[in-house]
Amino acid sequence: MDMKILPRNLNKSLCILLVTLSPLSLVTGCRKAESESDKRLSSRVTIVGSSTLLPIIQAASEEYVKDYKGAKVDVQGGGSSVGIESVINGTANIGMSSREPKPEEMKKGIVKTAVAVDAIAIIVDRDNHVDTLTSEQARKIFSGEITNWNMIGGRDQEIILVNRDEASGTREAFTKLLMGNEDFLKKAIIQPGSGQVRSIVGGTPGGIGYLSRGYVNKEVKVVALDGVKPSISAIKKGNYPLSRTLYLITKGKPKGLIKDFIDYVLSPKVQHEIVGTAYEPIIEVNE
Amino acid sequence: MKKEKILRYIFLLAASVAILTIFLILIFIAAKGVPLFFKVPLGKFLFGMDWSPTKGHFGAFPLLVGSFLVTAGAVAIGAPLGVAVAIFLSEIASPKVANLIRPTVELLAGIPSVIYGFFGIMIIIPLVRNLIGGAGFGLISASLVLAIMILPTIAALTEDTLRSIPKAHKWGSLALGATQWQTIKRVILPSASEGIFSAIILGVGRAIGETMAVLMVVGNAPIIPTSLKDPFSTMTSVIALDMSYASGQHQQALFALALILFIISMFLVAMLRLVSHKRSS
Repeated sequence: MDMKILPRNLNKSLCILLVTLSPLSLVTGCRKAESESDKRLSSRVTIVGSSTLLPIIQAASEEYVKDYKGAKVDVQGGGSSVGIESVINGTANIGMSSREPKPEEMKKGIVKTAVAVDAIAIIVDRDNHVDTLTSEQARKIFSGEITNWNMIGGRDQEIILVNRDEASGTREAFTKLLMGNEDFLKKAIIQPGSGQVRSIVGGTPGGIGYLSRGYVNKEVKVVALDGVKPSISAIKKGNYPLSRTLYLITKGKPKGLIKDFIDYVLSPKVQHEIVGTAYEPIIEVNE
Repeated sequence: MKKEKILRYIFLLAASVAILTIFLILIFIAAKGVPLFFKVPLGKFLFGMDWSPTKGHFGAFPLLVGSFLVTAGAVAIGAPLGVAVAIFLSEIASPKVANLIRPTVELLAGIPSVIYGFFGIMIIIPLVRNLIGGAGFGLISASLVLAIMILPTIAALTEDTLRSIPKAHKWGSLALGATQWQTIKRVILPSASEGIFSAIILGVGRAIGETMAVLMVVGNAPIIPTSLKDPFSTMTSVIALDMSYASGQHQQALFALALILFIISMFLVAMLRLVSHKRSS
């Protein structure tokens, strides 16, 4: 009987040992697989960055994979700074950016390709009576000088600011185009993505925030800025003050599959059918 | 006997992996975080009020206060609740009822924190918004979410302690004519106080280190909240929010925050050891 018990216990302990060590073997196993598939890596493109560009690049990548069998395209958000940082340190092939790369980032050998022109919409909750703001009023709201909607003709309701995090290209562009030297009110709620800003502003009475016009939906109301709504025609005419160019970022000049994908995004079909639904296609700007 | 020896070495190896990992993590965090203090003095980092990392201001005091506030809030709600659950399970409920409720409470511990955060956003935040106004993000929401998260830890450990008290104490008290409530209050709780204290320390450890759920409900403004309506940040929420894009000094500052968290959890473990040592001797 003893003879029987010993092997059984042994098996059990071996089992536990295997379970504890299995993550280790998994790690080493993955390493090997990766180096063997270096050749196949060229048929895989990783795209990271701005949540503004995410929906259209996601849609374009789905079409692209349909047309080019065998290619794999992964698209993730995270913010423009994450996109640029990932391209610089090599963890992504393409970065999506809704802001101009900074000079010190350009120095690290990245190349930008403009793909669309966007407008940043200022949004409020749907029950808000205010329809239009001047640039001056908007600046004072986001810097915390105006704290109640009744100070600008709305109802007596506290203003609740929803801001983006510092990785956000939208925040950077909004700062540059509207805020100038004014600082944001530090007490504002900060959210890491455009989708979160939209759902919080939409669900909070008195809420206000900003996001790419591509993210606007029925949950929120867009206010006009200096009397102009951020429509595609307003961007084209250059009437809307908060317009900015959206870029795809690569390390060095795009090559191979990466170039192929960027060319695909710049093709008339994608520019009109996908990009054009939310932003002004870049090919129309260049005309 | 050879097998015995081999097995012994295998288990020794397993134990060394744990110790080695802790040392590697500590060395890594320190190597990445300490260089910050050559540029930003430690006092300025710990007590500075302005956290604007992309502008080069690394005053982490608001984040420290934020972590402290949510933890205090969570313990203030979660500890009485957890102890009450434990008293109910060990002293009041019939074994049948207890066997039904205990696994349910234990299940709370197994729910991923992102789901607590989601629950916070969908249920607690609208509730708080309707109750006190504002956006609903802030101390109340974060404390409530964390209180639910530390409840199973505190309840389970407290129940173990309550059950380990010799039955004779309880019977003696009841035989002297004390009511059940008097017995719980005067006999059971005092003799379990050290165990309850350890349970609460473990709860503190869980609350101060919690990241995902907190990030989703605090509102992430880098300030010291002056009202219950104000959003704020904690050390963990800032690390999680910024690590994907931080570089240079900003990244060092995040590792410095991690180092502070590491020191706090070392301190908590030491406190736990001290309490259990006192109890056993």
